[in-house]
Amino acid sequence: MKKLLIVSFLCFISAHTFSSESAPCGDYGQCEAFKPQLNNLESLQLGSVTFMNNCYGCHSLKYSRWNRIAKDLEIPEEMLASNLVYGQTVKLGDRMTGSMDKVSAESWFGISPPDLTLVTRLHGSNWVYTYLKTFYEDASQPYGVNNMVYPGAAMPNVLASLQGQQILSCKDIPIIASNGGVKRDLSGNDLTEEKCGYLKTIPNSGTLTEAEFDEVIYNLVNFMTYVGEPSRADRERIGWYVILFFIIFTSFAYLLFREYQKDYH
Amino acid sequence: MSNQSSGIFNWINDRLPIKNTYERHLSKHPVPKKVNFWYMFGALASVVLIIQIVSGIWLMFGYENTEEGAFASVEYIMRDVDYGWIIRYMHTTGASLFFAVVYLHMFRGLMYGSYHKPRELVWIFGMTIYLVMMAEGFLGYVLPYGQMSYWGAQVIISLFGAIPYIGESLELWVRGDYYISGATISRFFALHVVALPLILIALVFMHLVALHEVGAGNPEGVDIEKHLDKDGVPLDSVPFFPYKILNALVAIGIFGIVFSIIMFFFPEGGGYMLELANFEEANPLSTPDHIAPVWYYSPYYAMLRAIPDKLGGLIVMGAAIAILFVVPWLDRSKAASIRYKGNLSKIAMATFVLSWLMLAWLGTMPVTELRTTLSQIGTVIYFAFFLLMPIYTSIEKSKPVPERL
Repeated sequence: MKKLLIVSFLCFISAHTFSSESAPCGDYGQCEAFKPQLNNLESLQLGSVTFMNNCYGCHSLKYSRWNRIAKDLEIPEEMLASNLVYGQTVKLGDRMTGSMDKVSAESWFGISPPDLTLVTRLHGSNWVYTYLKTFYEDASQPYGVNNMVYPGAAMPNVLASLQGQQILSCKDIPIIASNGGVKRDLSGNDLTEEKCGYLKTIPNSGTLTEAEFDEVIYNLVNFMTYVGEPSRADRERIGWYVILFFIIFTSFAYLLFREYQKDYH
Repeated sequence: MSNQSSGIFNWINDRLPIKNTYERHLSKHPVPKKVNFWYMFGALASVVLIIQIVSGIWLMFGYENTEEGAFASVEYIMRDVDYGWIIRYMHTTGASLFFAVVYLHMFRGLMYGSYHKPRELVWIFGMTIYLVMMAEGFLGYVLPYGQMSYWGAQVIISLFGAIPYIGESLELWVRGDYYISGATISRFFALHVVALPLILIALVFMHLVALHEVGAGNPEGVDIEKHLDKDGVPLDSVPFFPYKILNALVAIGIFGIVFSIIMFFFPEGGGYMLELANFEEANPLSTPDHIAPVWYYSPYYAMLRAIPDKLGGLIVMGAAIAILFVVPWLDRSKAASIRYKGNLSKIAMATFVLSWLMLAWLGTMPVTELRTTLSQIGTVIYFAFFLLMPIYTSIEKSKPVPERL
């Protein structure tokens, strides 16, 4: 019986692991991995600056409050108020409801820019990270750009001046034979074929290098991951203590159980 | 002082049966001395019930049962309420683990024949609890009013519409509106926090009273009532308090570790406990690509989808739950426990477990032709396990059950 249970469990797990659905990051395929660092305050602060300067003009963070971010990211409230909060009527205890009028936004973009408080929880941080890096020039689109993760995205590439021009390009790829090796011609040269759909950044067209741009996006998505669940760092910290408590509790309960069991065994 | 307090105790005890109740249900309540870990899930289920009630009350402090406010109020609890996130995750993790321990508890019942005479009513009360829990879980799932709450509710409520003649008006009556709206949320809220919990607590009480009347079973299926000492206490038993409560305490400790690992480190349960699509507010104008129930309904959802006809699917799904109620009368075996049943029962049980797990997986996946066929096969196996039970349990030869534990 036990063996059957184990076998059935393993069948279940393997069926689960090997099932594949459509690629999570659209035309890009698998999303790039993103590992948040929610205790890295510097990264979170830089990310918040990028967000306020580039995203907050259109996108709100309406479930979050200004002073919560100030407190968690250890940004002095006066500094936050004078550098990141736009608008004279905003109080620091307010929710970050954005500054764009919904009706005008719809007439400009066809859709009003979504609130981004929970976007990393909805799509996953990997998805957002990959999305922000995969805009490319596409003259057929209204803003001249398209996105590999979310084709037809109604969003201009706001960070283009940093990243530079990114285009879709083609390159020669070795042809793989059915035995897994590279196909060669009679004189031993590798056979290649042209494949398209690769992202390529035109050198020196942006103000940042590729590595610098990646870092900007990393910090931005790190901040967005934090905003999605501001208590996450706390949660993971407190969790260890709770588990430790239950381990100690269980040990004592077990010792007591063993002692009392002697009475009837 | 002690004279005085025993005086007060006696005064109360003469008017309220404290001593009798304590002795009958705790200090003298006989429990089989040899049970294994499978017998701990009942205690764990009552622990989770308490967690759900307490965390639920705290959630109600911050929750707003309106169409406009529901989703934002959940985020308010997660962000603005001090340690509100602990309360919320406790409730969401508790919901999934409630079903997990109840499924294991039910499986224990099937495996060791806990429904055998004289425990039929214990089993029926238990099944009713399960039925109410399914309704309770569904109602609660709608309350945060995320995309999956909305569309899940849409799918489930529309099932009522498949009932001939009264379907459409019944659907309207349940929903309280022509579409899911604030009216639906506020009635679901009332049912989720008052009506069903009251019924649930009453049923749990009956389940326990009935259990204490006939006594707990054991993995051997031995009837411990056959051998009594001179006071009429079964020889193979020990009192629940202080002995058997310690088993439960160890189990609660281990369960606490598992609970905290999930709650503090994987509260979303990989999207199976908190579905990611539910991090977006309900939008009646945009249907998600793939509507999936949370994992604990998925085997029955797979059955619903396996049947091409909506009413047929509804009947099959209902029958899948209903058939569990009559298991005590389907099992004709002389041995209660799988340990002493014949090979046919063992094979049937293993196939049943496999098909249930397969259905659970299929219920969470988007439909393809192959998966629909697999769901149909799984559904047939599920029903065959129960419907053929009178046959295979009476033709197989069971091993003799020992006299003593």
